[in-house]
Amino acid sequence: MSAQLPDAVQKAIERDHRAVRPLPPLWRRTLAVVIVALALLAAVLVTHKLRPDLPILSFWIGWGATAIELLAGILLVGLALRESVPGQALTTSTIVLAVAAAMAANGLVALATWIGTHQAPMGLHGGSMCLRNELVISIPAVLLTVFLVLRALPLRPCIVGLLGGAGAGLVADGINHLLCPVSDLRHVLVWHTGAIFVLMAIGWLAGRVWELSRSV
Amino acid sequence: MADQRKPDDHLVELMVGYQKGNMNDFTLLYGELEQPLKRYLWTFVRDGATVDDLLQTTFLQVHRARHTYQPPRPVKPWLYAITRHVALMHLRGARRRKESVAQESLPEIPVPPEVESLGDRALVRKLLLELPRPAQEVLTLHHMLGLSFEEVGRIMGISAGAAKVRSHRALKVLRERAAELDVKEQV
Repeated sequence: MSAQLPDAVQKAIERDHRAVRPLPPLWRRTLAVVIVALALLAAVLVTHKLRPDLPILSFWIGWGATAIELLAGILLVGLALRESVPGQALTTSTIVLAVAAAMAANGLVALATWIGTHQAPMGLHGGSMCLRNELVISIPAVLLTVFLVLRALPLRPCIVGLLGGAGAGLVADGINHLLCPVSDLRHVLVWHTGAIFVLMAIGWLAGRVWELSRSV
Repeated sequence: MADQRKPDDHLVELMVGYQKGNMNDFTLLYGELEQPLKRYLWTFVRDGATVDDLLQTTFLQVHRARHTYQPPRPVKPWLYAITRHVALMHLRGARRRKESVAQESLPEIPVPPEVESLGDRALVRKLLLELPRPAQEVLTLHHMLGLSFEEVGRIMGISAGAAKVRSHRALKVLRERAAELDVKEQV
């Protein structure tokens, strides 16, 4: 069957009908995030002093918690990358469940560390520094996520931004868990978990701005 | 009922050819999908000129984003998702600009076979228009355009189960409304 193309479409195609390489499969795009997360972890381990109480923490509360948060963060970024391909929309329940499970994992890590360290209460001490650290650590993950998302075509950019922000935030929090010496639950929930919420909000807002700029 | 419809393999071939820069494949793809996409767009707008504009915008968007199609995935969910986005953006823009949407009568498009027996075509079309848009969308995509519930879910961001439930409820509402009208006519 042959058809008469509308003028604008015909012109657009004549201007640019070069061959394009299809987007790599999801696992390969997510692998890029894994590599960046591990490189970030390695860079932080080399350049920063680890938290002084790390040797007395059990393996699971120390390194295990970091691994869980990294994994949860990478999975969320993977979901954001999937959502950014047309025809691969996630259901609302998947999105809610994934974000809730990741935040629950973050909460459990905070609780287990607080119980495991028997540290004297320190309140909200040194919080803004932790918030800043997490935001700085998250930058490479955020930039990579933005790059990969923009290579695709996010039809619901707010959701993609929210998932991507949460994922990058969890990766950063998992790494910061090895650095921050304060285990007080209030400090962790307000400043560490707060940083994840800040990144989620930034992601959502960035998506909204992008969406408005592309409105027909 | 088992929901096992196969993706259109020839559409995948055309799409792969198009990605390789073959313009003829694009023209064939356009010819094959122009009418089904128009039918789908009619669930969002009721004005022929706007449908044509949106179809054009859709294909421009498709052209810009042709690399985001990942063979050998089915082409239709990818394409209908872009179409849906273009239509929703248009509706959002029209709401913001407070434009009134022209209401034309629906063109001669087929109605789902499941509801064809409910009455004459004009009545069925009128009843279809009374349904909420998401229900119309599911009926159009599944019953008229032949997409599986799984594919409908991936286009609309709902689960295959939810798409099935929406379709079932929509058909039930249509049957009830048709029966109601039938009773009124007899009185």
